[in-house]
Amino acid sequence: MESVLALGGLVLLRDSVEWEGRSLLKALIKKAALCGEQVHILGCEVSEDEFREGFDSSINSRLIYHDLFRDPLSWSQTGEALPGGPLGALQAMCRRTDPGPFTIALDSLSWLLLHLPCTALCQALCALSHQHSRPGGSCLAEPVRVLGLLHEELHGPGPLGALSSLAQTEVTLSGAMGQASAHILSRRPRQRPALQTQWFSILPDFSLDLQGGPLLESQPHPDPHTAPVDPTAHVTFNLHLSKKEREAKDSLTLPFQFSSEKQQALLRPGPGQATSHIFYEPDAYDDLDQDDPDDDLDV
Amino acid sequence: MAAVATCGTGVGSTGSMVAATSKNNVTSFQRKGPRASGTDSGCSRLVSIAGTRPSVRNGQLLVSTGLPALDQLLGGGLAVGTVLLIEEDKYNIYSSLLFKYFLAEGIINGHTLLVASAKEDPADILQELPAPLLDDNYKKDFDEDVCNHQTPDSNIKMKIAWRYQLLPKIESGPVSSSRFGHYYDASKRMPQELIEASKWHGFFFPEKLSSTLNIEPCSLTHGYRKLLQFIQKVIYEEGFDGSNPQKKQKNILRIGIQNLGSTLWGDDICCTENCDNSHSLTKFLYVLRGLLRTSLSACIITMPTHLIQNKAIIARVTNLSDTVVGLESFIGSERETNPLYKDYHGLIHIRQIPRLNNLIYDVSDVKDLAFKLKRKLFTIERLHLPPDLSDTVSRSSKQDLAESSKLLGPGCGMMAGGKQHLDF
Repeated sequence: MESVLALGGLVLLRDSVEWEGRSLLKALIKKAALCGEQVHILGCEVSEDEFREGFDSSINSRLIYHDLFRDPLSWSQTGEALPGGPLGALQAMCRRTDPGPFTIALDSLSWLLLHLPCTALCQALCALSHQHSRPGGSCLAEPVRVLGLLHEELHGPGPLGALSSLAQTEVTLSGAMGQASAHILSRRPRQRPALQTQWFSILPDFSLDLQGGPLLESQPHPDPHTAPVDPTAHVTFNLHLSKKEREAKDSLTLPFQFSSEKQQALLRPGPGQATSHIFYEPDAYDDLDQDDPDDDLDV
Repeated sequence: MAAVATCGTGVGSTGSMVAATSKNNVTSFQRKGPRASGTDSGCSRLVSIAGTRPSVRNGQLLVSTGLPALDQLLGGGLAVGTVLLIEEDKYNIYSSLLFKYFLAEGIINGHTLLVASAKEDPADILQELPAPLLDDNYKKDFDEDVCNHQTPDSNIKMKIAWRYQLLPKIESGPVSSSRFGHYYDASKRMPQELIEASKWHGFFFPEKLSSTLNIEPCSLTHGYRKLLQFIQKVIYEEGFDGSNPQKKQKNILRIGIQNLGSTLWGDDICCTENCDNSHSLTKFLYVLRGLLRTSLSACIITMPTHLIQNKAIIARVTNLSDTVVGLESFIGSERETNPLYKDYHGLIHIRQIPRLNNLIYDVSDVKDLAFKLKRKLFTIERLHLPPDLSDTVSRSSKQDLAESSKLLGPGCGMMAGGKQHLDF
């Protein structure tokens, strides 16, 4: 789980109806706040009081809450609502200039995806994740983390795929037998993505308790009854040669391989024969006619 | 095509002898060769630009894609004036590597680069280019690689089956005098002085966006329009289309566009199936190809086609590009554990090869190609089936191979195609 916060960039928390992700989001926020970072929260789905409940006061003082839940369409016109709507709020966070590690939590990204065009949201998220790498040319080493809560079942494969391609880390929540698990896919740049599974549970004060898996292992084991078979046993030809046999094999010249000695031997007549002899034994059916059969032709 | 068209002006005209009052010739027919008059600088001579060579089949001017193995599969290289479209693999690891090889090849040959991206700053992309491999260092590493693979037994095998040594092999090592394609070490960075000595133009789309993001779906071609204007400006100002006749030395412009069609360019074909401006990408490709055909440039585009929701758009995009290469990596898929693919990192599909001034395609007969990224090399090899083991091996693994061999083309041998294995 540490790697989730260690890498900067966009972290997608994909949850579903059975395995909700807001508690994990709050646990990660608490962890970031305990490290002394500034945490900005864009709250769209639940009210501020409901979100802040469960955090103690020290953490609550470090959270800066931008409330879009109370008045999302800016109808009240009292100046409390955020100017520019949700997109304006995101852009305002882009233009932040004070240094230091920085975490933004979007609760939830699904709400933003349903209310904003997908392309504008993707561009804003990309600008948010990369803004610390080039503010006026200097390169800051502090990562910007954007934690986005995404309800998988609300969106089709298109927006989900588009957001996944932008994300540095994707945490998919699922579970078995009453225990929640997180499948973490982290994509470091220029490296193969790493997939790991972490079983966890969230304690009432929103601290994270990492655990091993549930008691019943349901992974498939290789069948222990079939012993691995040695394919080199029970073969009709000899696979293992003794040293003498190997030497004899290596020194054998194959019929199509012409070494120079063999060529010379074939071209030059041997010492025993001056000319070549043909030995012929005629049998009963042979017709020893000395005439040339081609004489019959009038050519 | 711009570069190597033989001079048609002289041959085509049927002007009479009276009309031909050019200084040197009596007739209006002009001979191709060094004796031709220098009135037209673009034609009647094979232009000798660094890093290019004419194709052996049709005389087309080719540039290297940065991967000699890919050059061989595309018929010698990428033709000047065409688009190479790379369909990205799922996590965009290998396609960005091919993109960088293309740009690195441009720097080594002294070509001008134009890098466009909506995700990364082009200056950062250029910092991450791989370093070129010098010939003598490379030969040492390649030889030790080959020695590691070859066991003494393999020499004995070829002694009896000596005819197989005569079969042509796909070139996987460096050609001795490879001036055309170079090899790159993906683990090292290109030296800073080479990057600074090169000429490049960058287009980073978020910088060009207006400061207020407007939500209304005005023009989805906004990003594309800006990019086309930028490319046109560079081509015109630098004289790649022959518009600046005072240019002393002709050069090639290598254009690289990353992640075209993704949401960061403002196009929503990756988000929805029925989008309003589904034709903006195809219009862009059409105009881009027009710009390329009239200038000395070659373009590489990587596109996340696995995210495009409407499959008709993918078909249109394929038709509008010249060469299309698809990458499919095994990461995260069930093929990773398949014994057939255990040596490789992914499959490479050559989806389309253009017919340029030709009636026939230049396809190779090998359809099953796989790639792997070794420590320093990106190799593309023909996919071979492993040898069929004897029948004392358990049946399940044989079934797996039979299932996966159905995916292979006919080039891999018909024996493994059937589900039943003949037992003798």
